[in-house]
Amino acid sequence: MSDLLERLAALPEDARAVLFTVLEGDDAGRKLLVVEGGETVGDGPAELAAHADAILRGGRNRLLELDGTRVFAEWYGPPPRLLVYGAVDTAEALCAAAKLLGWTTIVADARAKFATRERIPSADELIVAWPDETLAQVQPDHQTAVVVLTHDDKFDEPALLGALATEAFYLGALGSRRNQERRRERLLAAGVEEQELERISGPCGLDVGADTQHETALSILAEILAVRAGRGGGRLRESPRRIHAEAPS
Amino acid sequence: MKEILPEVERWIESGEDAVVATVVATRRSAPRPIGSSLAISSSGAICGSVSGGCVESDVYEKAQEVFESGKPQLVSYGISDDQAWSVGLPCGGEIDVFLEKVT
Repeated sequence: MSDLLERLAALPEDARAVLFTVLEGDDAGRKLLVVEGGETVGDGPAELAAHADAILRGGRNRLLELDGTRVFAEWYGPPPRLLVYGAVDTAEALCAAAKLLGWTTIVADARAKFATRERIPSADELIVAWPDETLAQVQPDHQTAVVVLTHDDKFDEPALLGALATEAFYLGALGSRRNQERRRERLLAAGVEEQELERISGPCGLDVGADTQHETALSILAEILAVRAGRGGGRLRESPRRIHAEAPS
Repeated sequence: MKEILPEVERWIESGEDAVVATVVATRRSAPRPIGSSLAISSSGAICGSVSGGCVESDVYEKAQEVFESGKPQLVSYGISDDQAWSVGLPCGGEIDVFLEKVT
């Protein structure tokens, strides 16, 4: 195989990369592999590398039209990560559901009694730490969803404040509407911009009438998927859009 | 394409060539998302899929042309094709498939 295909085949599971293939014109069939960090391999037009960052962030394959020539961009990378702060029952249900999608799950809690393997068997990683330390360790990026579930302001608020400073594609918080309003005011008082607060899904989840922990988990995960795909999360039969996801442009 | 490369690599190591077909666009409904790919070896072995069976036989035929010419091809399938020989998708969608030779 070519050097490029050898490199692609050997790409580690946790590496992010984009494979560009020119589909039309004199360059049809030429490829450029751009690995996150800047490495490029292949004889495809070098200027394609300028589009790599947008594709890496989009997290999906895309067909590009560049100066009238179609170029296929294949996205490679690890599955999204779910960070749950608060090792409560819903955290386990949420991790179990996320594992079904093949995601990587991380649960953190400052209370060592809560963050145990027995309580949260579906977490790939368990962290006993306060929110700031947790966020510094996990480093949420644009492929990470963060959900805070402690119901306790002394954990939830620093977790949300810290997560707002990251590129996490989803920020969710459980809690009654009354608590959401109270939290909102406290975050504003802490200096968070009104516009930034819009990033927080609170109460998190889709309106599916969830009642049990597992139903709540499914409702939250469904909202995370919808946000990731840039969708509203309603019923397909009432949606004018195509069924399957497109990368947000 | 990455998921079919281990198989393609085995074919190439045993002296065969391969054609890789990849779904690069879908319109309306489609059985497989873009990026789905199918590899065909010069002796006729197949790995992967581009549609769930609807267009694979035609992709196989087109792959023979690509083996011979070495030139990639971009082929559209769907209900808008009204040629008698065209292969359609029962779901009413359209897909574009890019075929390329890998040696």
